[in-house]
Amino acid sequence: MIYIIGDYQIFFYNEGEVVPVNNSEKRKKINYSPFTISDEDIYEAMKDVPGYLDITPDDLMEVYRHAYRHALDRLATSLKAVDIMTEDACFVNKSTPLDQVAGLMAGKGISGVPVLDVNDKIAGVISEKDFLSRMGEKGKKHFMGVIAECLRGEGCVALPIREKKAEDIMSAPAVTVYEHTPVIEIAKLFAEKNINRVPVVDAEGNLKGIVSRADIVRSSPIRIMA
Amino acid sequence: MKEDNFNIFKNYLSKMKGVSKSPPKVSLSEILWSWIGSFTGIALVAYISYGMIDGTGLTLIIGSFGASAVLLYGAVKSPLAQPRNLLGGHIFSAVIGVTCYQLLHPHLWVASSIAVATAIAFMHLTKTLHPPGGATALIAVIGGEGIHRLGYLYALIPAGAGAVIMLGVALVVNNIPGSRRYPEFWI
Repeated sequence: MIYIIGDYQIFFYNEGEVVPVNNSEKRKKINYSPFTISDEDIYEAMKDVPGYLDITPDDLMEVYRHAYRHALDRLATSLKAVDIMTEDACFVNKSTPLDQVAGLMAGKGISGVPVLDVNDKIAGVISEKDFLSRMGEKGKKHFMGVIAECLRGEGCVALPIREKKAEDIMSAPAVTVYEHTPVIEIAKLFAEKNINRVPVVDAEGNLKGIVSRADIVRSSPIRIMA
Repeated sequence: MKEDNFNIFKNYLSKMKGVSKSPPKVSLSEILWSWIGSFTGIALVAYISYGMIDGTGLTLIIGSFGASAVLLYGAVKSPLAQPRNLLGGHIFSAVIGVTCYQLLHPHLWVASSIAVATAIAFMHLTKTLHPPGGATALIAVIGGEGIHRLGYLYALIPAGAGAVIMLGVALVVNNIPGSRRYPEFWI
């Protein structure tokens, strides 16, 4: 099994077809598998090469399939977190008041930020979802829930978390990856955990950078090949 | 259990049906160049053999060169047709053939079968598989008095020398047409 990262979607690559990783039936199955190359294609290609080829079309097809699989493996594992991460990532401390956290995120135009403890080790991550889930309609981590609450005019919906600190709402423990983690593994992680960014740490838990979904889209092998 | 054995046997038989089809036919110009190459290669070897060294007790031409010509001039790209395979295949197989004859000649059926089978195994082992090498090993056993008298010289003349001449012709002729090149690799 191989994962292909396409634009905005991660595809699970299985013999004969390519389907999105989350396997949602609603999404259209996209069939651009190279295995759809036909026996006739191979035969015609053999005719394109002048001279006698000492191989049967079936053997050539088998060689082609193996070569393609190797190429995908190479593309899937050659790109590491360190190659695509944003290095000087913003961060906050566990004790940072939430108004500062929100201000930082708004100022930098980011939707999530790592939280470090007093020893500068990774402690958690705060994302828009962590804010949203504590505001507006209970349990619904959605911006429209906050809008709904606001429109009902029951005062500031941020009141419940007004005096709180980063550590009070952060998601912990943080899902992290290492610098040498293949991008393909990170893409899998995003799909499985339904997250949009992941801090990159060293063995001691020191923050080295951050990889977002946008970083993955930019590094897409499909794009490199296109 | 009985059912299982039946399926295994059915599976075994179905392998004999074949799965693929024959590769495409080559173009007319390809056929022409195969003819020109093999004519030149065999002509040169045969001319030297019959016209120049006849009567010396030596020969330069053996049957396996007809098979080498098919590969060298008719399947230029084949790994089996490359210089390493051509030279290694003929020379190694010749040595093995002569050895088998000398050790086992009272039993010609044993000598010939061991010679061919060992030649194939040795060519595989040394990455010099060249089908005509099997014939070269066999001829060392069944080639008659004239061949037997050569002893290990057989590996150099005719096997090695003939192969070198055919290689020279292949290098010259196969590189003339734009659609051909030779060799794919040397070692």
